[in-house]
Formats: sequence, C-alpha cells, structure tokens
Amino acid sequence: MDKRIQRIYVPMTESGFYILFCLRQPQHGYGISQQVRRMTGGALTISAGTMYGTLSKMEADGLIAFVREEDKRKLYQITPLGAEILDLELRRIERLYRNSRGEICDE
Amino acid sequence: MSEKKTMVRFFTIADFEEEELWLRRQHRMGWKLSSVAPPCFFTFERCPPEDMIYRLDFKNGETDDEYFQLFRDYGWEDFDQYAGWIYFRKPAAEAESEADGELFSDGLSKVEMVKKIVLTRMLPLLVIFLCCLLPSWLRMFDGGIFNVLSYVLYALVLFYIWLLVYCGVKLTRLRKKYEEK
Repeated sequence: MDKRIQRIYVPMTESGFYILFCLRQPQHGYGISQQVRRMTGGALTISAGTMYGTLSKMEADGLIAFVREEDKRKLYQITPLGAEILDLELRRIERLYRNSRGEICDE
Repeated sequence: MSEKKTMVRFFTIADFEEEELWLRRQHRMGWKLSSVAPPCFFTFERCPPEDMIYRLDFKNGETDDEYFQLFRDYGWEDFDQYAGWIYFRKPAAEAESEADGELFSDGLSKVEMVKKIVLTRMLPLLVIFLCCLLPSWLRMFDGGIFNVLSYVLYALVLFYIWLLVYCGVKLTRLRKKYEEK
C-alpha cells in the first residue's frame, strides 16, 4: 500500500472514520450524516462542508468510489484500498481499547 | 413589489465571520439579503424578522450539482454567489445542534478553507503588489514625478500594504483558532 495514503489516513479523524465505515454500503453524503447521528446517539454531527470535503478527498485518494446517482445525489462505496485502510484503523482502535483495559497486545 | 434597500459595506477576504454575523443581525431586523454586487453593495428585501444563520463557504468556483444538493439536504438555502463565495442561510430554529448551524464540523476543514483563500486570493494580491504596483510607484518616485497619478498610486500602495498586512494577520489568527478546535 502507498505509504503516503497510510500516513494521511492512519490515524483518522473521527468524521473520516465514520464516513469510511458507513461506506461499506453504498450511500450518499446526507445519508451518511443521518446514519452517523443515529449510531452515535447525536454525539457526532458531520456538517455539510466537512462531509463534501472529506468525500472529495477520499474519492481523489481512491479510498471510495462513485457508484451511481439517485435523485441528483451521488452514491459512494468503499474501494479495496479504502477497506484496507479501514482495517488498519480498526486494528489500531482495538489495540487502544485493549491497552486501556490493561491488556497487552503482542501481535 | 417588496421593499428593498441597498447598503454599502466593505468586508475583506478575512472578514467572513463578521459578515455572517452582520447578515444575521439584518435578518433579525427584518431584512433578508437578496444579492451581493461588486464592489461591496448588499441588497436586502423586507421580510418577517427571524433568527437566520448565515454562512459563507469559499469555493472559488469549484462547485457542482452534488455540492449544492448536499447542502440543500442539510437544510441550507443557497441564494447567491459572489467572488468565489457561496452564501448560505438556515433558520436557527432548524439547527438541531451547534454543528448543524455550521458548514464545517471540524477545525481541519475550516483550515482548508483558509488555505484556499490564501492561495487563490492573497497570493495573487501579493504578486500584483510586488510585480506591478510597487515597481511603477518606485519608478515614479525615482523620476521625481509628482502629479495626480503619482498621488493616486501612492494611496493605492498604502491601501495595498494595509490590506495585505490586515488580511495576512487575520487569516493567520483564524487558522490558529481553527487548528486548536
């Protein structure tokens, strides 16, 4: 994997993580924001400008790809590269969590 | 025909936060912004007073249908564009949280906007100043020419210096503020 991409995205911002995580299914920007609000019980809101900027950047970096258009809304989905990045990030978060519980990770 | 008024107000590229607040105050007094025209004319229309959040996004022409659709989905009304800025508004009552009343929910994307302003507005301004204005003023000064034109040029040079310093300092401060968010 491209080291540059890895350096930019791992660790990820909270918004970035949720956007990529939600895009395991095809989804448009506003749909993602609704889903994130439900998932986090309203603790995290991703504003329109941040959503648009993050989607554009992730598409340009090949983490997500345009799938189709529905009612003038672009639907995106995660790419294999995006899935790889998400996996790295998930492992990192898991390690943080386990370490915070006093566990030692020796993988 | 509804009642209208036009106001003259000068905001630099670094004053967008002040501009947002000023527009919000106008709307609360029953004046909604209908259009912005160069160089600094704001036309308002009479409307019922309402607490309306105004937000400006700097895109410098890089927008598409998807962009506007997304903002409309979020409840933002886009009603005008001016000099690379997109003007949005949303009733404060509809904003469910603080972030819902903002265009950007993290400091990082605000920093990106400031960077874009510097790159596409400040740098060209600086280049014009250093490559055109300053040399021609110095030439006039050297030649000992003192006429109306030289004074105009002199005033222009002073205005440019003020503008560059003011915007430079302010944008740097904004960037710092957003980075700490």
